[in-house]
Amino acid sequence: MLGFIIQRFLQAIGVMAVMSLIVFCGVYAIGNPIDIVIPPEATQDLRAEVIRRLGLDRPLYEQYFIFLVNLLKGDLGRSFVYNIPVLELIGGRLPATLELVLISVVSASIIGVSLGIYAGYRPESWTAKTIMAASVLGFSVPSFWVGLILILTFAVNLGWLPAGGRGATIDIWGVAWSFPTLDGLSHIILPAINLALFKLAMMIRLARAGTREIMLTDTIKFARAAGLSEITILRQHLLKLISIPIITVFGLELGSTLAFAVVTETIFSWPGVGKLIIDSIAVLDRPVMVAYLILVAFLFVTINFVIDLIFALIDPRVRRGAAS
Amino acid sequence: MKKQSFLAPLALVLSLTTTSVASAQTLTMGVRGGPESMDPHYSALGPHAEAAKHIFDTLVWSGTDLQIEPGLATSWSPVDEDTWEFKLRKGVKFHDGSDFDAEDVKFSIERIPVVSGPTTTTIYVRRVAGVEVIDPHTIHIHTDGQAATLPNDFIRLFIVSSEAAADYSTPETAAEGFNSGAATIGTGPYKYVSWEPKGDLVLERNDDYWRGKGSWEKVVRKEIPNDSSRLAALKAGQVDVINYVSSVDYLALENDANIDAVKGDSVYIMNLQLDQREKTPLVRALDGTELAQNPLRDLRVRQAIDHAIDRQTMVDIVLEGLGRPANQMMPPGFFGSSENIPMPEYNPAKAKQLLADAGYGDGFEVDLYCTADRLPGDGAICQGLGQMFTQVGIKTNVNAISKTVYFPAQARLEYSMFMNGWGTLTGEASYTLGGLAHSNNPDVKLGAYNRIEYKNDDVDRLLQTGARMMDADQRRATYEEAMEKVMADKAYISIVQLQTVWGAKAGSVEFTPRYDEDTLAFFIKSAN
Repeated sequence: MLGFIIQRFLQAIGVMAVMSLIVFCGVYAIGNPIDIVIPPEATQDLRAEVIRRLGLDRPLYEQYFIFLVNLLKGDLGRSFVYNIPVLELIGGRLPATLELVLISVVSASIIGVSLGIYAGYRPESWTAKTIMAASVLGFSVPSFWVGLILILTFAVNLGWLPAGGRGATIDIWGVAWSFPTLDGLSHIILPAINLALFKLAMMIRLARAGTREIMLTDTIKFARAAGLSEITILRQHLLKLISIPIITVFGLELGSTLAFAVVTETIFSWPGVGKLIIDSIAVLDRPVMVAYLILVAFLFVTINFVIDLIFALIDPRVRRGAAS
Repeated sequence: MKKQSFLAPLALVLSLTTTSVASAQTLTMGVRGGPESMDPHYSALGPHAEAAKHIFDTLVWSGTDLQIEPGLATSWSPVDEDTWEFKLRKGVKFHDGSDFDAEDVKFSIERIPVVSGPTTTTIYVRRVAGVEVIDPHTIHIHTDGQAATLPNDFIRLFIVSSEAAADYSTPETAAEGFNSGAATIGTGPYKYVSWEPKGDLVLERNDDYWRGKGSWEKVVRKEIPNDSSRLAALKAGQVDVINYVSSVDYLALENDANIDAVKGDSVYIMNLQLDQREKTPLVRALDGTELAQNPLRDLRVRQAIDHAIDRQTMVDIVLEGLGRPANQMMPPGFFGSSENIPMPEYNPAKAKQLLADAGYGDGFEVDLYCTADRLPGDGAICQGLGQMFTQVGIKTNVNAISKTVYFPAQARLEYSMFMNGWGTLTGEASYTLGGLAHSNNPDVKLGAYNRIEYKNDDVDRLLQTGARMMDADQRRATYEEAMEKVMADKAYISIVQLQTVWGAKAGSVEFTPRYDEDTLAFFIKSAN
């Protein structure tokens, strides 16, 4: 077990190192961040001065080395654009993304799996067919279009919900969260729906496929023969048997949504990290890019690690396999 | 003595407030871009300066048409060849009650080179060699050599409080000090309440502002970068005013009775730039082989390119009417704009004839580069140009790319024919011609943006002498002559001047659009 953890940890370090190297080389290849933001009046000597001050005139390997040294000291650098420590910048915007993504992905999964199981359990029913047809829409319609339609319908035409932004916040443990307030919830609803659509569709199809497959196996036949009620069969047996692919997808989707909910955050002006990273890329704000992508790499490795642990919990075969 | 000098402006302010319509209202603005920091000296970008103008004042004020007016300085004049005297406004108070005086100006000027960020606000004080306080309301600025346009440089010199910002003037402490509000004490129309990077900027009215009391008790600037979301927020009533309405939405808004669309001329002009180097990378013969010489070095070829452009169609069709044809790199009426430059004629037959005379009767091929995401219509104009050039025989491959890639590549001189917008934000020609038209010469600090190796010795001479002329009329004439020569050379071809559109709830506010596209809450008056 300990060996497993250490192995995963080393893997995480490796991924993060590669990620930082890619960002450094990539930004270097595009060009000097200065040229995007420098004002037209700047003279040659001023441009050279700024380049020198930001350390961008040094060779690439030297810049990377300085970055590594600072990283070991715990200093991820300051944003080129905002001159605030990067961790502070990302940390300030993280709670907003966290609450939106968690609410959205968890509700999409719960609703999606439930609907999917029903669709797989009674595949010929009219309800099941409607669910499956609707799930195709969830896949095919682009989220920026859905977002704008949601805003147009509910905010502009009906006026029920706000058109964007984050609502009133309450401080819990020193961090500002908006979901405990009613105003905050009204601001979360539309972007959460927008984010959830794709995951909902995916969960429905996954759960349905798994259910269809499992319902035809001998396990269910024997469970029925043993006299267990349908509900017990669904809960005790079916859920566990279809859960491995669902949990894998859940983990992947959670990670990628947390890291890259850019489109929804842009449309709904949601003050989250997705918007931060896309803007930082557009102006080549390298410290923010590197720090953020390293953190994202770490996030993915952690999520995968937790999922593997959950597999071991759910499926005794995995546990026994690891032990032997 | 001191008490008396307060009473007069105080009385003026009181009389203004009793006669003005003091509404106890909140103005919520939806803006496309916001500041990078609450430190006004950190960034030279437009949205940053726009936000800073709410809390801080500048020494010299740039009016609606970008010509300079008194700000915190009431008058200025050259004392000798390298000294300017500025007389400062009396009776102005900072938000914390302390007095504005010459110490604050000296502190602000000296602070800038230390705390300026990558967008380098040092440009605003680059000619300053020293600051001498003569008395609390008079200051002498010593410059490095003759600096005829020093007052124009100071239109973005924000004045901070020397007391409040004393501990927050190093690169490490400035951001924290200003973002927390400790040092964010200015003389401007609104006081700082709160701000988050990319978030809402909340302000409350400064009732003692020297220009008078603004219409709004509270101002909230929400940063909504996506055009459709910003317009939706206006339509849903979440914001009262928005800036940068896109041209497509503008057409739809003309039929919407609930929204007022306010249109104004912009300072931005789209300029086509033609590489003058002997060997240019992206021009070739139609069969793909290299040409013997760079065709763009031939004046007839450049004139042909100019005649191939149908500017009116560009405005009417490509920009949906939101623009004007341009014949020079600054809008008409600016300091240095010449009235003698004719509007280029759209004449494709003449263009073909000129190409044939120059020996390119069969035409040639060129790759045209421009930004797609910086100014409204930039990518579309490029595509229009590509079609117009191809019609006269110059096969054009259009590349409308992200500014993130375009500007660094342009700085590395990788392009042969490229177009981007240029805005003369100081309202006078040395800004534009000094940066673009002078040959690239770091010794005289001119030509920093000349990326086509354009060199005209007459223009260089005119620009260098003009920068040293202290007499405004003489200088104006010199710059006008320089502009005429530059536009006649056709290495820079100006195409269109853009227009900007603001949106507001119908009948709720009135304001005059500014050339530099700034949206300033103090100048937005309630219409009720």
